[in-house]
Amino acid sequence: MKQNNTRPHQASFRDPSGYMFYDGDVLRRAINPIYFKQYNALKDSGFIKTLIKNKLLIPHTQTTVSDKQIVITPEPIVFITNPYEWSFEQYKHAALHTLKVHKYALSKGFILKDASAYNVTFHKGSPVFIDTLSFDFYEKDTPWRAYKQFITHFFGPLVLASYHGTEIFKMLQTHIDGIPVKLIASLLPGKSKLSSTIYTNIHLLAKMERTHSEDYKAETKIAKLSLKAQNNIIDNLFDFIKKLSIKEETEWGNYYDKTNYNDAAFQGKKTLIEDWVTALNPQRLIDIGGNDGTFARTVVTKVPHVIVTDIDSNAVGYNYKQIQQNKETNMLAFVCDVLQPAPGIGLNNLERNSLTERLQIYSPDVTMALALIHHITLSGNVPFDRSAQFFAAFSKHLILEFPTREDSWVSSLLVRKREFMNHFDFYNQEAFETGYKQYFDIQKKETVTGTKRVLYLLKNKV
Amino acid sequence: MNFLYFDPGLGAMIVQAVVAAAAGVLLFSKGVMYKIKGFLGILKEDDDTYDSIDIDEKEDKDETK
Repeated sequence: MKQNNTRPHQASFRDPSGYMFYDGDVLRRAINPIYFKQYNALKDSGFIKTLIKNKLLIPHTQTTVSDKQIVITPEPIVFITNPYEWSFEQYKHAALHTLKVHKYALSKGFILKDASAYNVTFHKGSPVFIDTLSFDFYEKDTPWRAYKQFITHFFGPLVLASYHGTEIFKMLQTHIDGIPVKLIASLLPGKSKLSSTIYTNIHLLAKMERTHSEDYKAETKIAKLSLKAQNNIIDNLFDFIKKLSIKEETEWGNYYDKTNYNDAAFQGKKTLIEDWVTALNPQRLIDIGGNDGTFARTVVTKVPHVIVTDIDSNAVGYNYKQIQQNKETNMLAFVCDVLQPAPGIGLNNLERNSLTERLQIYSPDVTMALALIHHITLSGNVPFDRSAQFFAAFSKHLILEFPTREDSWVSSLLVRKREFMNHFDFYNQEAFETGYKQYFDIQKKETVTGTKRVLYLLKNKV
Repeated sequence: MNFLYFDPGLGAMIVQAVVAAAAGVLLFSKGVMYKIKGFLGILKEDDDTYDSIDIDEKEDKDETK
């Protein structure tokens, strides 16, 4: 392995057991001698093998072994999504996944030593645990040390979201180590205390944390907790989270039930997209504003990797459910607001990189933006050349659907501007083309039969 | 002693005894309810796509035979 061509991964510095680094383009994990004992025990007992076999842990191969360092190479993950980009179902599954991994570890004499939400991501259609060094030996009768982290990263945000909606998950952008227990407790309604699970895991925890916050010398004795008792905590949290649900009005709802075009037009749009995408033979495709993945699904068998993102968490959740049911291992769904994409957060603003940066690395061959431009332009007041600049930053080919002024959705958006309606006279095909021509060449342009919408195929000038 | 690179929170370590006790009571009563509902045939089906907390290790054992 060439040592001169390596650079550390910006998110990997907290755990002294090891760190991630790029060896050229390959992401590898170095294990320090301090963790050799654990690593060897995990490996030799078959623990890691079982986790990988059950698709709980990201698979890896051992690359090099020396006295100073062991290097392993995990299976590459095409695109990392962060907790603040998950739908409720995804967040829930990531939490259940973490508990499942910890419970299995306990049964084999190990523990999950941290329960960060960043240790789980979505890969091949399902949650997967990605931090291979997160395990340690179980010490008899000790409580779970990652318990509080599990509450601040998973349980708290999920319970809050069940009361206040998935917007809560965005709080993780400003609290990289989870929402503080005190804050979670204060945001919950009083009636939440009636649930013994919420009361003990959040309200009582917050109280105990406050009581013991001044134990500077670590003098207080830590109570013992039997293995059975710890398993009870895990099982109860698992049952509780599994039943959690969310009552949220969806932005698009059954969007395709109230679309303004008929079956023939719908079919026409599908056929056009299928033809154009097939001709481009893309390896990676992203559908931005792709709702529940209806249109991305028309090409999912032809493209090796497909991402669908939408601003509506419910649509993403519905899409994720379909991905799981259809076992679409090459599709990934996440929540994204084009007007406010996830920023770079953490140390140096680099620990979790911004959505734009991740999209540039992903570098899709085809980007789709179907019936999205009128929302960006009319609801977000974004000029055409500026939205073109956004797409041009990461897209090679862009398939964009432009609803004309005659389209009923556009008219509705315009009418709602009331006396400012004429400020939006620029919303027309000509101005659109002028704006987008600064970054793209127009390769194809076709009206979707039976609609007032035009489909464009644009190619990035760069 | 295992090393730990973040503060687990003292309160969080102590509270687990109470959390576990409450969880124990809840799990026990749920178990009883499950049996009653099963007997009466009124068990609801779970529509969540995530499977159970337990790992099926049967396959692993078969391989080592």
